[in-house]
Amino acid sequence: MKVKRFSDSHEFEVELVSREGAKLHARIDGREVEARVEPLFDGSTIVTLHGRRIRVAARRRRESILVAAGPAAFEFRAIEERTARAAYGLVTPEVTAPMPGKVLKVMVHAGERVEAGRPLVVMEAMKMETTLYAEGAAIVKRIAVAPGDAVDHGAVLIELSPVSPPSSPASDRQDS
Amino acid sequence: MRKLLVANRGEIALRIIRSARALGIATVAVYSDADAGATYLAAADDAIRIGAPEAAASYLNSDAILAAARAAGVDAIHPGYGFLSERPQFARAVAESGFTFVGPPAAAMATLGNKVAARRLAVQSGVPVVPGLDVADPTAARRLGAAVGYPLLVKAAAGGGGRGMRVVKAERELDGALEAAAREAQAAFGDGRLFLEKYLARSRHIEVQVIGDQFGKLVTLGERDCSIQRRHQKIIEESPAPGLDAAMRTQMAEAAIRLFRAAGYVNAGTAEFLVDGDSFYFLEANTRLQVEHPVTEMRFGCDLVAEQLRIADGEALADPPTPAGHAIECRIYAEDAERGFHPVAGRVEYLNLPAGPGIRIDTHLATGLEISTWYDGMVAKLIAWGADRAQARTRLLGALAEFSLLGVGHTAAFLYDIIASKPFGDIDLSTHFIDEFFTGWRPAETDLETALIGCLLAADAATNVDRTTPSRAPAESRSPWERLPRFEPWGGR
Repeated sequence: MKVKRFSDSHEFEVELVSREGAKLHARIDGREVEARVEPLFDGSTIVTLHGRRIRVAARRRRESILVAAGPAAFEFRAIEERTARAAYGLVTPEVTAPMPGKVLKVMVHAGERVEAGRPLVVMEAMKMETTLYAEGAAIVKRIAVAPGDAVDHGAVLIELSPVSPPSSPASDRQDS
Repeated sequence: MRKLLVANRGEIALRIIRSARALGIATVAVYSDADAGATYLAAADDAIRIGAPEAAASYLNSDAILAAARAAGVDAIHPGYGFLSERPQFARAVAESGFTFVGPPAAAMATLGNKVAARRLAVQSGVPVVPGLDVADPTAARRLGAAVGYPLLVKAAAGGGGRGMRVVKAERELDGALEAAAREAQAAFGDGRLFLEKYLARSRHIEVQVIGDQFGKLVTLGERDCSIQRRHQKIIEESPAPGLDAAMRTQMAEAAIRLFRAAGYVNAGTAEFLVDGDSFYFLEANTRLQVEHPVTEMRFGCDLVAEQLRIADGEALADPPTPAGHAIECRIYAEDAERGFHPVAGRVEYLNLPAGPGIRIDTHLATGLEISTWYDGMVAKLIAWGADRAQARTRLLGALAEFSLLGVGHTAAFLYDIIASKPFGDIDLSTHFIDEFFTGWRPAETDLETALIGCLLAADAATNVDRTTPSRAPAESRSPWERLPRFEPWGGR
C-alpha cells in the first residue's frame, strides 16, 4: 500500500511480503526488512526492528492510519486515490485548514490573482494566529469560508485555479 | 473549609480535587458540554454542568461558576491555572458572593497580574527589569527601538502563556506586530493593551516559587528553570535551576520576596526572571498555581495545593521543608512538533502510562477521551525526581519511553529527544533552545520504519477478526495464567 505521512507529506510504499508466526517480512520503498511482531493482551504489539524493540499500537480511522511507536505518534493517509484530484500546475489547488480553529480574516476575494507569499487567510487556534500564504501564483476561484467560521482540520478554505494553462506535470502536494 | 468548587478542567481539576480530598474537604467539579464524560469528574463528590464548549460560555463564565457554587453549597473556589485564575474581577466576585477564593487578594492580583503595574512595582522595590516601555504606542516604540536596538518584544499587558506576544526583528515589522498582538490580546484576555521590552537574545527563564499566609509570612520554595519553550510556552521545567550561581539564586529569592511583599501578596505565586549572563531581570509575576508546580513539590516533598487551601482557610504557614534532589517535568501536548506545533485533535484509542520510582504523572487522559481544540492542548505532565539531575533525567527518559498514546498527535517523542540530547545534558539552556538545537526536528528513522510496519498491522487487523488475541495463545486456553510455569517461591525465573 502507498501511504503519505501527514506531518511532512513524505510518501512511502509499504508491502507485506510474508508473515509466519512472529516473523514478518515487509518491503519499505523497495528495501526488504524483517521484523519480529509479538501481540500483547492490551491490543498493542511489540515490533522488533533493527534490534530495537518498540511497542506499537495502530488503528485505521477513516482515511487515516494512526500509529503509536513507543512515545512517537504517526499519522498516515492511504493515497492511491489522491492523484486524480491534483490540479494542473498548481502546488496547492486547495488551501486547507492546517488545524481546527476559527477563521479571523480572509484577505483575498474571488477572481483575484495572487502571487507566491501573498497572505490569504488568518486563522486562530488556541488563541494563536496563523497566516496561510499562497504557495505560488494562482487565481482565487472560490472562497469557502467567512471570518468567524469555525473550521475543522483539513477543511477547504480557498480554492485556487492556475494562472496559465498547464505546462508542468500535475503535482500531488496537497498539504500546505 | 468544608466544600470546594474547582473552577477548572482536566488534569489540574483532578490534581486539586485529590489534595482537597486528602484534607477531608468535599469537592465539586464543573464541566462544559465538551467535557461531559471526562474522567476528572469521577474524582469529585459532585459535578455540575456550566455551559457550552466555548470557554467564554463555561470556564470563563464567572456567573455560571458562581451559580454552580451556590447550588452546590460550597464555601470556597479554587481557580486552578488559566481561565479565570488571574482575573481580579473574578477573585472579587467570588469574595463578594461570600466564598473563599483560593488565591491572592484581588488587589494584589490586579497589581502583579498587570505586567505594566508589576514592572513599575518591581522598579520601586529595587528589582531589576528589562529595558522597555509601559505603553506601546507606535511612536514611542520606534524611539525605544532606536535607543536599545532590535529585536523588541511586544507583550500583552494582561497576558500570559505567550498569547499576544510578538518578536519584532526590525522597525518595519513594528506596526503589523502591534496590531496582531493587540488583536490576540483582546481575544484572549479581553484587554488589548500592550507593552514593549528589549528582546534578550540568549537568556534563561528562571522563576521563583513564592507562598505566603494571611499573617505576613512569605517564603520562597526554590526556583525552576523553564527555559525550554516553544511558542513562548514552557515545555520542560526543572528544579533546582542547574548551574545557577548560588549568590544569584539568593538574590532572586530576595527580589521575589520584596516584590510580593510590596504587592501585599497572600497564597502561592511565582516571580519570573530572565537570566542573561551575570544579570537577572524581572519578567512577570504569575498570581496563581503554575502548571509546572509539581517539580517544586517533588523536590520539597510538599503539596502546594494543600498549602493553598490551608492558607485560604486562615491557617498559618509552616516553615518550608528542606529540598532534596532534582526534579524535571515535561509537558506533553496534543500538537504536531513538525508542523509548527499546530494543535491537533482526536480520540484516545490506546494509552500506556508509565510508572516507577520517582515518577509522577499529572493527567486526565483515558481511553475514549475526545481531545478537542476547545482548550489548551496539554494532555499530560510527566515528572521525574532523582537524587541528582542525572538520575532525574534517566528516570524521565525511561518514563517517556514507556509513554504511548494513540489517537491524537502529540509531542512525547520530541520531548524524549530533547531530554536525551547533549545540549540538555550539558545545561546549554536558553529560551531559544528549540530554535537552536531542534529546528526541523523529525522522529527517528527506526521509529518511522516501525510505524510503517504498524500500518501493515492496522491493515491486517482490519481484515483479521481474531486480531486482539495474541497469536501465541492457543485458541482453547487464552488465560495467561495457564501458560505460566509452575509457581516456585523465590524461584529461578
